[in-house]
Amino acid sequence: MKGVLHVAPLAVLVLAGPAMGQDAADFFRQNCVSCHTIGGGRLSGPDLKNVTQRQDRAWLVQFIQNPQAAMDRGDPIALRLREEARGVVMPRIVGMDQARAEALLNMIDAESKLEKSQFVGLQISDQPFTPADIAQGRRIFTGDRPLAGGGPACISCHTIRGLGGLGGGFLAPDLTKVFERMGSRASLASWLLAPATPGMQATFRQRAFTSEEILPLVALFEDTGRGGGQDARVGNFVFLLFGLGGAAAALVAFGFAWRWRFKAVRAPMVEAGRRVRGLV
Amino acid sequence: MTNLATYFDQLLFVALPYVAFFVFFLVSITRYHWRGFTYSSLSSQFLENRQHFWGLVPFHYGIIVVLTGHVVAWLIPRQVLWWNDRPLRLYILEISALACGLLTLIGLVSLMLRRLTVSKIRVVTSKLDWVVLLLLLAQVVSGVGTAVLYPWGSSWYAAMAAPYLWSILKLNPDLTYIAAMPPLVKFHIVGAFALILVFPFSRLVHILVIPNPYLWRKPQVARWYRAPGEAAGEPV
Repeated sequence: MKGVLHVAPLAVLVLAGPAMGQDAADFFRQNCVSCHTIGGGRLSGPDLKNVTQRQDRAWLVQFIQNPQAAMDRGDPIALRLREEARGVVMPRIVGMDQARAEALLNMIDAESKLEKSQFVGLQISDQPFTPADIAQGRRIFTGDRPLAGGGPACISCHTIRGLGGLGGGFLAPDLTKVFERMGSRASLASWLLAPATPGMQATFRQRAFTSEEILPLVALFEDTGRGGGQDARVGNFVFLLFGLGGAAAALVAFGFAWRWRFKAVRAPMVEAGRRVRGLV
Repeated sequence: MTNLATYFDQLLFVALPYVAFFVFFLVSITRYHWRGFTYSSLSSQFLENRQHFWGLVPFHYGIIVVLTGHVVAWLIPRQVLWWNDRPLRLYILEISALACGLLTLIGLVSLMLRRLTVSKIRVVTSKLDWVVLLLLLAQVVSGVGTAVLYPWGSSWYAAMAAPYLWSILKLNPDLTYIAAMPPLVKFHIVGAFALILVFPFSRLVHILVIPNPYLWRKPQVARWYRAPGEAAGEPV
């Protein structure tokens, strides 16, 4: 019995090792790949290959848990990172604590030693996109080509310039200039692979975009970004006018349908009944 | 997200719905059991009929369609998203829903003005009636505001609000879907729970005892049973 007690903690450690690594990899895939690669070059955030050799580990553990706090206290490294990311601040990630930050850094160390990490990121050609790619992207955006994972079409919450009709949604940002904001095809594609904002994360965690959807969307956003600024919210105003028109039409219809309401109720019903029975 | 915001989200989107539904079922059932005859809309149509029409009719037609839309998108969100896959179909659905929302608003404002301006109606209006009317007004204004400012609600409701509501029903609340929603949308959700909370105490209970057979039953005419030429009097 005593022997068993001595062995048990060891067994837990041995079993927990790979499990924690897998947990960290899954966590990284869900929360980090939208902005970081390991050996695939810079996206919105820096390439994390060998990051623990470039930066003090204790500082990294603290920063990962609350990036905004480091900015707020004027940490020079944090401020430089923000500048390099063109003002994009790493969000505070739900579920991040010291143990998870340590596990992530261990996983990044292990991945950095590999010739090619699983987190090297999407590799996208620099060749110009074709009009067909852009048209496919537009079909995906509007929902004309439904998303394979069953997620809602982009138009549900976003709009872009030149959409036509009543335009897109305004629950989430206008994506006309998203390509400019993300900086590159790789950044945008990686972001779509694992969206980092709370709303997108919740909606698409079980309904991820496929690479066949991401590439046309990147083509669309690259194209819309070239053509000028955002549309005014004209579609929104027209939508309100249509709604008001519909309500006014319904009121007219109610008035017409019940136009005899103050003249008679019982008499016409009796009359109709007699007519049916052939008494009139 | 700050700790305070998280705390308020937990209070408003986890605790409040359970309190509201618990009170709703408990009070609705006990009230029906012990005071069943108070289940009534307490109609004031006999006291004033002309203004009543322009409040009651648009309000009820509007709210029935809008509420049905919310329930349908909650029950079959995938089918609603499928319908919205074509922008034209999405626009038709949204315009229809907005028109009904505006009808509800016009009807509600008309009913409130009637209760304020007609002395006979003011006398039969309780404080609780005003609480319900103001809650309804806040709810309808925030709903129409959400539809106009944050289109296209029929899609994002099906994709984000419906999973949250299902998570409440499954006793496993998941706030990630709504945590980042704009304040107006959050206000609308909280308003819905507040209305569910006051529902069983108010005349809104008439919704639970709608005489549905009236929808398909043929009109019935009450006739006095008397000989032709006889003076009107008590029915025989």
